[in-house]
Amino acid sequence: MTEQAPILIVVIPLMCALMTPLVGWLRKSFCYPWVILSLTISTICSLLVLNTVIHQGVIHYYLGGWLPPWGIEYVVDHLNALMLVLVSGTALLVAVYSKRSLEQEIPDKIVYFYTVFLLQVTGFLGIVITGDVFNLYVFLEIASLAGYALIAIGEDGAPLASFRYVVLGTVGACFYLLAVGYLYIVTGSLNMADLSRILPELYGSRVVLVAFAFFLVGIALKMALFPLHVWLPDAYTKAPSTASLLLAPLMTKVAIYVMIRVMFTVFKPYFSIELLPVAQIMLWVGIIAIFAGAIMALAQIDFKRMLCYIIVAEVGYMVGGIGVANAVAIKGAILHIMNDVVMTLGLFAVAGIISYKMRHHNLSDFSGLFKKMPFTMAALVTVALSIVGVPPTCGFFSKWYLIQGAIMAGSWVFVVALLFSSLINIILFFRIFEIGYYSFNETDEAHGHGHEESAVINEAPLSMLIPTYIVAALIIFIGLYNQPILVNIIQFAVPKL
Amino acid sequence: MRFLSFIVTVLTGAVLIYGTLDMPDWGDPNSPASRHVSPRYITKTEVETATPNMVTSVLADYRGYDTLGETTVIFTAGVSCILLLRRRKKTTG
Amino acid sequence: MEFIVAKYNYWIYIILMMIGFYAMIAKKNLIKKIIGMNIFQTAIILFFVSTAYKKGTTLPILTSADAHGEHAIAVAQYLNPLPHVLMLTAIVVMVATLGVALAIAIMVYRRYGTLNEDEIIKAMK
Repeated sequence: MTEQAPILIVVIPLMCALMTPLVGWLRKSFCYPWVILSLTISTICSLLVLNTVIHQGVIHYYLGGWLPPWGIEYVVDHLNALMLVLVSGTALLVAVYSKRSLEQEIPDKIVYFYTVFLLQVTGFLGIVITGDVFNLYVFLEIASLAGYALIAIGEDGAPLASFRYVVLGTVGACFYLLAVGYLYIVTGSLNMADLSRILPELYGSRVVLVAFAFFLVGIALKMALFPLHVWLPDAYTKAPSTASLLLAPLMTKVAIYVMIRVMFTVFKPYFSIELLPVAQIMLWVGIIAIFAGAIMALAQIDFKRMLCYIIVAEVGYMVGGIGVANAVAIKGAILHIMNDVVMTLGLFAVAGIISYKMRHHNLSDFSGLFKKMPFTMAALVTVALSIVGVPPTCGFFSKWYLIQGAIMAGSWVFVVALLFSSLINIILFFRIFEIGYYSFNETDEAHGHGHEESAVINEAPLSMLIPTYIVAALIIFIGLYNQPILVNIIQFAVPKL
Repeated sequence: MRFLSFIVTVLTGAVLIYGTLDMPDWGDPNSPASRHVSPRYITKTEVETATPNMVTSVLADYRGYDTLGETTVIFTAGVSCILLLRRRKKTTG
Repeated sequence: MEFIVAKYNYWIYIILMMIGFYAMIAKKNLIKKIIGMNIFQTAIILFFVSTAYKKGTTLPILTSADAHGEHAIAVAQYLNPLPHVLMLTAIVVMVATLGVALAIAIMVYRRYGTLNEDEIIKAMK
């Protein structure tokens, strides 16, 4: 059973997605437990795979029994296994959260929403686990198509935002396909390990150089790396709460994973970092992304839009961390992938709760919420502390390693960018806490006057609150236990430079 | 804006053409792509898959998982179109 | 001259790709963008399929003489089947993306009554 776990992780959500319309036709209320069941099995399988990788090393799974490079293979090493657990766990939490939110926002489309939801998760899982570049393209397209649909059914203006995403996302995927093609033309292989074996003698070739450039630009479009981030704010703000809760933590981080794979597994670090000045370019692009994201976040009055620009800045952290190109900084960048999934999940969960209760997600909707929704605001405080980087939350540790790596490499501008971003995050969240603490709305005062505490509290439903609390607990848990995670998993995921 | 798009397009095209300068010539039977993975597909297709059509044997057997992914893409597009376009008939009155 | 003859297949398809790419990013009408997307992806597919060709070869389907194992199959007699396979998948992906993009364009049209991006942005304000 555990030998088949790698394939089950991807196939179970896929088969369940194919059967969801049937399940929904039988009875609509069966869809919710069905989705949770399939994602639970997938999460258990990814935990099993992580356990196997920690104890036995890299897993190779040959699909159809054909050895690579003639067949497709799944390769699970430490980085993969961590990403698999992150993706399936996040999907499970979003599925638990989704019930009330969907009933309010898109009540007539629930069955097909869950179908596309499971297909999206299948796409992400397939991208993360595969060891074949063309297979990655196929699953990238599954994930992208599902994403376009999930975003387009949102609030007013969502179809246009999704259309812009379609155009830019297709450009990104096509650049990736061109890069795969160029590499195939000069090597004849599509398997990542095989390519890494054949390519070193071709490093001087122009074809390989152009292929590498197109890989990076295509992935940068999917990753929303500044200045190719223009699709992200509109798309994630106007999408339904559940859709942005699934897409925001995962899409950009899966793209960063693909970039790490391409840069360090397919092309050896010798090529990516020493032969080409790619690391320098990535460092500066990351720095600009951090500044741009932080400054644009300050200018927003819509809470979800502000979170989108925080995502742009976080992508800058990770790309800059890889650009610093020493072991400590890359360790920090990979730890930050894990932290950022959890933190973004928390932020968008709170945004979804606000949307559910207030029907809007502007900053002004936070007024008086510390009294009305104390539990939600407590979770928000935890996530905010993590984004700023306060110990013992997880955000502190990844920032610590990134700053340490940058100091060791002498990249002082990156250190300044990280500290500047923390400062801006403090301003952003304290602004929200100020609005939340004082009621700026007269009707709040009138209703709250003279009533008991329990009558005033208008808290979010449990199915939305429990995942938010699990995330907040995870933030503290990962922060406290970051050393075992680093030593057992992330240390082996860092490429040898 | 149009000018910027034009510049980006010309740049991309120039980079792509620059990349083709080191590629094997068109129709070269000794290109790396013809020598590495595909000879086994050509020589062993009848023996291993009992299919004389090599494209079929690669599509359905050696790389059958990509075909599963492709059918999933079609399914995703179909369900997405239902999700996006279906409107509930408004009850009259 | 021989240089151009040796590689002109790649160049023609790259020029076609760039025509599609320009339409995708520069045009304001949603349908023109979709058509540009289609041209771009089709050109990529043609680019790949052209790399499968080997001079003097035939289709990658075994003739009955070879199929019965009477003599060893000459690799130099058949085209490379792998790019064909990859591009079959890519064609399907292209059609699926086209379908979803058109569905979204229909949604936009139902809401705003126009398919010109500038007019839509004006209507949104």
